[in-house]
This record gives sequence, C-alpha cells and structure tokens, in this order.
Amino acid sequence: MPSWRTIGSTALVVVLATTAAGIAEGQTPARSAPTAADWAALAKLPDFTGVWEVGFGAPGGRGAGGGRGNRVGGPPAGTQLTPAYAEKRRARLANAPEDSQAANCLPPGMPGIMGQPYPMEFLLTPGLVTIVIEAYTQVRHIYTDGRPLPDDPDPKFHGTSIGHWEGDTLVVDTVGFSPQTDIAANTPHSEKMKIVERFRLADPDTMTIETTVTDPEALTAPWVSNRTLRRHRAWTIAEYICEENNRNSVDANGKAGINIKK
Amino acid sequence: MNIRRFGGLVIVALAMAGATLSAHHSFAAFDMTKEQTITGVVSRFDWTNPHTFIWVDVTNEKGMTESWAIEGMSPNYLGRRGWSKNSVKPGDKITISIRPLKEGKTGGMFIRAQVGDRVLMPTGTPTDER
Repeated sequence: MPSWRTIGSTALVVVLATTAAGIAEGQTPARSAPTAADWAALAKLPDFTGVWEVGFGAPGGRGAGGGRGNRVGGPPAGTQLTPAYAEKRRARLANAPEDSQAANCLPPGMPGIMGQPYPMEFLLTPGLVTIVIEAYTQVRHIYTDGRPLPDDPDPKFHGTSIGHWEGDTLVVDTVGFSPQTDIAANTPHSEKMKIVERFRLADPDTMTIETTVTDPEALTAPWVSNRTLRRHRAWTIAEYICEENNRNSVDANGKAGINIKK
Repeated sequence: MNIRRFGGLVIVALAMAGATLSAHHSFAAFDMTKEQTITGVVSRFDWTNPHTFIWVDVTNEKGMTESWAIEGMSPNYLGRRGWSKNSVKPGDKITISIRPLKEGKTGGMFIRAQVGDRVLMPTGTPTDER
C-alpha cells in the first residue's frame, strides 16, 4: 500500500502531465516571446490607445447594445425573441423585479459592460488587445495571436474573445457566456449566443463599435447596435470598487433597497 | 448660443444624469414624481463608489435634528465634471433638491445643491484635465 506521501507525489505528477498535455494539444497555446518586429508591427495598426468614454445623447450612444441595465419596463429595442425566450422574459418580469443584480455590485458581463457610463482604456500588445473597463473594475482580453475560439468554452461573464484585423477594423468574436449575464435587461441568452464586435476609428478621436448578437435559441434575427466613443487623451482610468460603500441592494424577490444607516 | 438651444442641452444633461445613475441601480427606491428641498448642515461627505453620499443634519418642524442621506453620482463621474472630495465639507450650510426616498425615509437622490454662492450640479461637460 503506498504511503500518503507517495500518493501526493503521484497526484502532482499527474496534474503536471495533464497541464503539459493541454498545452501540447493547443487548448491554451503558449505565446512565443514577442520580437522587436512584433512590437514595431503594432505601430502600423490604427491607434486605439488611451481612454474612451461612450457618448451620451447621440443616436447609438449609451443604451445601445443592451446589458442587464435596469430598465425593467419595455422590451429591449431591436431584439426579436423566439417564442421560448419571449416566455422566459415574461417569466422574469412576472414578479416585476425592481432592480438587477448590479445593485448588489455584480458586474453585468457582456454585452452590457460595454455600455456603461464610465470610460475604458484600450491596450495593444503583441497578440492581445486588452480593454480595461472602469465600471466595476473589469477587464476583457481579446487574443489576436491567431488562436481559434474554444470548441466547448467555459461560461464566463465576458465570454472568450479572439480578434483579427480587417483593414482598419478590429473584428472580435466572442462565445461562451455565463447564464448570469443577459442579452439585455431581463432577456436571457442560450449557450449558443455569439457576439461579433467591429471596432474602428471614425475620426482621430472617435471610435465606433458595431455589435451583432446572434443566438439561434433566443433571437429570431441578429441584433445589431452601434455605439460611439470619444477619446480623452488626458484621462486615466479611476478606481471603482463597487463594494466600497454600496448602500443599494436587490433581494431574491427583486425588491430594491437602500441602506441609509449612517 | 441661443436660449432655445441651451434649453435643449439642459434636457440632454438631465437625461444623462438619469442614465448615469441607472447604470448601477434603478430608481425604485426613490419617488421620481416628487422634488423636495431640504436645508441643513453637512455632517459628512462620502466621496466613494459606487455613489457619493451627502449626510445633512436637518431640523424638522418639531425642532428635532434628523440625519438625511443624499445619494449622488460616483466620484469617478463627478470628478471629471468639476467636483472634488472638497466640494462639500462638514459644517457647510447646504440646500439640496432631491427625489425623496419612498416610505417617508430621510433620504433621497441628489438633483442639485447650493452651498453659499456655489451651485452644485451632477452633470456638465467633461473636463480634459484629468
């Protein structure tokens, strides 16, 4: 009978071997070290760097692109739901929830996180576009190193994203979303939801994002929305710790609350 | 800029204010059909996420002091629009217009305030100096 120590060592070896095999099979491709040429190539791409804020008031500004939001009233503009998902939406609204889990500081996930009234910073490094999102202190990683999308992705709030450049446009494909995220307020998605975003510069300090949501189980047609962002060269991303002093809440029955105990 | 255009901008600004607050939570706790004005002395200013709170000691009609909690937008949002952690200080005499909390609680959502000769608004054109 092996000692516990032997079992422990064996388990460790198995874990290491499994990890190595995973990399070898390309599940998580190792990125090779970037070369000087890789860094230089970034300079030829459109300049997305810096801090951007979603525009307000203009068509295609904030509000487009959905998210959990808190507009518990009418249907999200532009979505055409299948009968099954229209029913799911009706069921969600049946007990008239006063608020979403964002009131408890749960981040909205995709696509709602891209429409928050806080800025985002874009970072371009070899093989990767990183979006640092001020709201709820979130981050998206968009792999542009040529890796494929996973066949069976783990469900995540922001999904798993890969991107490629079509001329001056960054095209991002994202799959695998947590069931805790919504297409739009009170509008759930299936495991088959896909999001394609097309980022481009409309002028030197204006970015447009065209977002197309498809979901063969939830939507009868692709849902396309547009946002416009403005670059603020002098801004930096500020800290946003939602739990710092969150006095809002929503309970399991959808009842909103506020704590005004000093 | 003529008056009519200015009016349009104000409406856009107010719509923005609503949109901003709704990012984190709904208006369910507040009576959005009512506007109420309170006057008192600031006891504390929470320059915190996800919302600022101005705490005001208000003397009610019975002569008793009540503590009111006034929720405003985040320091991140306000800080880019001219506010700072020193915009409101303990001891300041303040008059605030609010959307009152439902159920008669002593609190509300910030609309605008006057501190001395300063008017504080929750909106404005973002500054590029931050």
